[in-house]
Amino acid sequence: MGKYDGMTAKRPVLELRRIIKSYPGVVALDGVDFTVYENEIVGLVGENGAGKSTLMKILIGLIQPDKGSYSLRGEPVTLRDPADAARLGVGMVFQEGSLVPNLSIMENLFLCHEIGFRRFGFLSKRAMRQAAYAALAPVKVGSDLEIAIADTTPAVRQMVEIARLLWLSRLYNHKNPVLILDEPTTVLTENERETLFSILDQIKNQASIVLISHRLQEIVENSDRVIILKDGKNVTELGAERASIPEIEKMMVGHSFETDRYREDEQVEPGNATLLRVQKLSKRGAFEPVDFSVRRGEIVSLVGLVGSGKEEVCRCITGLDKPDGGSIALGGKKLSPGSPSEAVRSGIGNIPIDRRSEGLALGMTLAENINLLVLDQLKVAGFISPALERKSAMRWIGECRIKSPSSSTVCANLSGGNQQKTVIAKWLSSRIQFLVLDHPTRGVDVGAKEEIYRLIRKLARDGVGMIVMCDTLEEDIGLCSRMLIMKDGRLVGEMACPPYKKPSPSEIIGLIV
Amino acid sequence: MRDGALDTMAIRPKRARVPAIYFSFTLLVVLVLLFTLGNRNFISAYNLNTIASYSAILLVVGLGQMNTILIGGIDLSVGGLMSFVSVVFAVSLKTIGIWAFPLCIVVALVAGYLNGVILTRVKIPSFIATLGTGGILSSLALLVAPLPVDVPAATYGLLDIVNGTTLGISNLLFLTLAVFGLFYVILRFTKVGRNIYYVGSNIKMSWMSGIDIVGTRIFAFILSGLGAGIAAIMQSCNQYGGEPTLGNVYILQSIAAVVVGGTALTGGTGGAINTVVGALILGVMENGMNVVGVDAYFQQSILGLVIIVSVALTFDRSKTATIK
Repeated sequence: MGKYDGMTAKRPVLELRRIIKSYPGVVALDGVDFTVYENEIVGLVGENGAGKSTLMKILIGLIQPDKGSYSLRGEPVTLRDPADAARLGVGMVFQEGSLVPNLSIMENLFLCHEIGFRRFGFLSKRAMRQAAYAALAPVKVGSDLEIAIADTTPAVRQMVEIARLLWLSRLYNHKNPVLILDEPTTVLTENERETLFSILDQIKNQASIVLISHRLQEIVENSDRVIILKDGKNVTELGAERASIPEIEKMMVGHSFETDRYREDEQVEPGNATLLRVQKLSKRGAFEPVDFSVRRGEIVSLVGLVGSGKEEVCRCITGLDKPDGGSIALGGKKLSPGSPSEAVRSGIGNIPIDRRSEGLALGMTLAENINLLVLDQLKVAGFISPALERKSAMRWIGECRIKSPSSSTVCANLSGGNQQKTVIAKWLSSRIQFLVLDHPTRGVDVGAKEEIYRLIRKLARDGVGMIVMCDTLEEDIGLCSRMLIMKDGRLVGEMACPPYKKPSPSEIIGLIV
Repeated sequence: MRDGALDTMAIRPKRARVPAIYFSFTLLVVLVLLFTLGNRNFISAYNLNTIASYSAILLVVGLGQMNTILIGGIDLSVGGLMSFVSVVFAVSLKTIGIWAFPLCIVVALVAGYLNGVILTRVKIPSFIATLGTGGILSSLALLVAPLPVDVPAATYGLLDIVNGTTLGISNLLFLTLAVFGLFYVILRFTKVGRNIYYVGSNIKMSWMSGIDIVGTRIFAFILSGLGAGIAAIMQSCNQYGGEPTLGNVYILQSIAAVVVGGTALTGGTGGAINTVVGALILGVMENGMNVVGVDAYFQQSILGLVIIVSVALTFDRSKTATIK
């Protein structure tokens, strides 16, 4: 440590020294040091499997390290569970949320700690409400406290969790609590993201924040220090002002990226034949009639803000939603709307945004997931042949470079990037002609992203037409050959993105907002 | 490849996963050894035959039940259906003779189909839907025959399909083996069988990948009806008569056989071999406790304990955040 000297005046709140944690067959953390100082935001980055989540679990007492020391405010501690951690002022805002959906904001805020609001043996709603307003003020949540958490937006839920952690630390009299935020922005809109970071910046005055994110941009912009993990070891730490994204990526992956990360050199000129034709497609309350077409081998990126109607257009194409009017034709053949099985039969595939709940059978093996669409081709005398099935799986595991011990590995045991590659392999192995990709690189590390771009290029080379919606505008521009821009339910613009002559994000952003 | 190893291993639970079937099988072997130590006669040919016949009928209901559990549902109507099929079988045997067999199978298939339709079209959870249809079938059974009906002696010959022996082995066992083979092949080697696993594992993914989720679930319930129907015919033949409450014990027993074998109630994992081991464990327990002379009132407690222990061994908690 000690590479960074700008913070010498600050005192450490939380110190992990030489942490070792191993699981059967693998050392997840191999002598990791991790320090959080008072009043700072520290960014933690690393590929999937680098040990970030193991480290976080140790921080909040979900698991115990095999070796190494953990001290808080200078005193060594042993945490048995997250409740211990909360009592000592260390808490985590989970990616998937840890609130009780059918209880109200207020009830969630004080869950399990209502005892302080007891008046004459009963809970005083009034006292709770007052405390709730006070607790929610710093995170700028002013909505009705009686709303059930299930009816609030992800942004509000996140704020309630943050407020709860701050309130708990005051309850237990800890001055500088440590808040851990795991991928806080994946569920947020652009505006909410800005709000979150401005709130975090203020909270910094009374707390320390550990920020984990795959979006290096927001890590670099919002943290004071960046700590990089690779293969369960500390690689380095940087002051934020010194950190550059390419440099961080290089250290995370261990090699530098080509400048051509979206593989523009492989971008093919789409064929002349129209593959998908959408005519006067409309859905009330979501989008006005839209007309467009996609050619063979063409990657069309659909961009627009949340609420622009782009998601709904895609859902109508893949049959997940039923449009009110208009038609969708693939290769000249009209599709009957509103049926995913009809869409898949006609050759339209979908790569969903949430691979765990919509893309994979997590409890089933890699082979079973990959072969889902091609079982008919793996039959001998009418019955599925295990040998053919294994062969097919191995072929696509190789083709998509899925890292797995074997084709019978259960998908739940794969990393996010490899799970996503499995979803792509599933569609790649079937003879689909058209693919809708909903945020194909969400939540996967930089290494896996490269692979996914490679696969998308391969699909295009094979003549598959695609509509993509990406995580960032840069990714959209880099990948697509043409961009369609939607705003308020209408198609408002179109922009060609030929290789090496790509428009800049600033040219497009004006059309989006 | 160090990266690859980390990728896949770092998120594995502490205990490397051992397939549930090994635990169940070990439990079965341990039980057999214990009972043999308690009474040498436990492994006599005569007693093994008794265990086999008892387990056979339970296994056939269980194999059907397993399909509904694999898709993440449950079939509580197997008891009512078995009772109904049993009395229909005994009564119709008098009038239509051998045609009673196909009639009963059709009745069972239709009942299973209706369960599937109520689940998928009326959209009522299978727990409630089959609780309802099970009740209806139970009462229909009592309406057809309020008291047990004996099969007329003249038709005993027809019952030899089940009661007879071939090459010195009971036909009942051959039939059971055939039913097992059928279910095993469906689940392992056919597309509709594989779809049962896909739907049980992730129904939304299955829908989005174009799998006919309605048809698959209906099919699973038809299979459950088939199992219950065949089991009811077997048992009725065995006791030379129909009984309007014959199925009652099989509701929970069939679920226990499936779960003890290591098929998860959450759906998506398990299979026919698991259910064989599960049914054998229950059969061995039932018989073994009598053979070694465990107090009759105490037997249920031990059985309950074995069910809890075996599920504790086989159930993969790592995939379920909260246990309900």
